[in-house]
Amino acid sequence: MKLPFDPTTDANLWAQALTKHLDAASQNMGHDIRERLRVARLNALATRPEPVKLLNYRTALQTSGSSQTGQDEGLNLWRFLVSALPVVGLVLGLVLVQVIQQEWVESDLASIDSALLLDDLPPDAYTDPGFLQFLKVQLVQPSRHD
Amino acid sequence: MASDQELSDFLKSTEKKAFKRAFYHVRDEEAALDIVQDSMIKLCTNYANKPLSEIPLLFQRILSNTVLDWFRRRKTRNALFSNPNDFDREQNQENVDLTEAFGNEADLPSIQSAEHWLGRMQTLEQIEKAVMDLPLRQREAFLLRYWEELDVAETAAVMGCSEGSVKTHCSRAILALNKSLSDQGLKP
Repeated sequence: MKLPFDPTTDANLWAQALTKHLDAASQNMGHDIRERLRVARLNALATRPEPVKLLNYRTALQTSGSSQTGQDEGLNLWRFLVSALPVVGLVLGLVLVQVIQQEWVESDLASIDSALLLDDLPPDAYTDPGFLQFLKVQLVQPSRHD
Repeated sequence: MASDQELSDFLKSTEKKAFKRAFYHVRDEEAALDIVQDSMIKLCTNYANKPLSEIPLLFQRILSNTVLDWFRRRKTRNALFSNPNDFDREQNQENVDLTEAFGNEADLPSIQSAEHWLGRMQTLEQIEKAVMDLPLRQREAFLLRYWEELDVAETAAVMGCSEGSVKTHCSRAILALNKSLSDQGLKP
C-alpha cells in the first residue's frame, strides 16, 4: 500500500519526511508500553470466536497432511466410523422396508391364488369366452325383470 | 480468512503505530492503551473471518471509531461531572508555551553524543506536539494519508468522508505543521 507520491509535490515530500520522525518516535517506546501492548494483543487474540479457531484447526489438519501422530490417526478413524453410522443405519432401514414390502406382495398373491383354487368355479372358466357371455347375460336379465 | 498467526503478526506489526496514533489524539497513555486494546478485541471478535488483505483497512477504521467513541464518552462524562477547578486546570495545560528555545539540527554536533541524542529527542517531541495540536480531523487525515500510507480513497473510507475533504484536511494539516515547526526553527 505504498503511496503514489508525485516527487514534484513538495508538500507530499515534506509530509513524508515528517512522518519518518513519527516512525522514529513510535520505536522509542518504554518497555512497559511495549509489554502492555503485547498483553493487549494476546488478550485480543484470545477473544477470537471458537468456530474460527476450529476452522483454522481443520484447515491446519488438511494442510499439514502426513505430520499427524499415531494417536491422531486413531482418533480420525473413530471419527470416520462414528460419522458413517447414520449412513449405515439408513441403508439397513431401506433394505428392511424392501424385504417387508416383498413379503406383503407375495402373501397377497398367494391369497388370491388360494381363493381361485378353492372356489367352485374352475380357474379356466374365467378364460372361456362363452362363460363371460353367460355372465353378461345373467347381469342384464335381472335388470329387464325389474 | 486470516489464521491466528497471520492476525497476530499483523497486530504485532501495527500495534506501536496504533498506540501512537491514539496517543496523538487523546494525549493520555492509559486511554491510548485502552483504545488500542479495544480496537484489537473488536477486530478479533467481529472481523477475524475476513481475508487478510482487508484486515489493515478494517483495523484503521475500527481504531478511528474507537477514538471517536472515547471523545464522545469523555464529552458526556465531562458534561455530567464537570468541575470548575478541572476546567481551569485543563485551560492551563492547553496554554503551555510551545515556543521553547530550540536550536536547528544543523547547529548540533554531528557525532552521536548525549547532547545530540537529547536534541533529537526534543525534535521528536516538538514534532509530536505539533501533530497533537492539529484539529482532530486534520490530524486523522494527515496520519492516515502520510503515516499509515493509505491512498486518498482509503483514507476517505476510513474517515467516512469524501476524497475532496481528505485532500483539504491533508493540505491544511501540512500548512499548519509547516507553520508550527518553522516558528520553532525546525525542519523535518
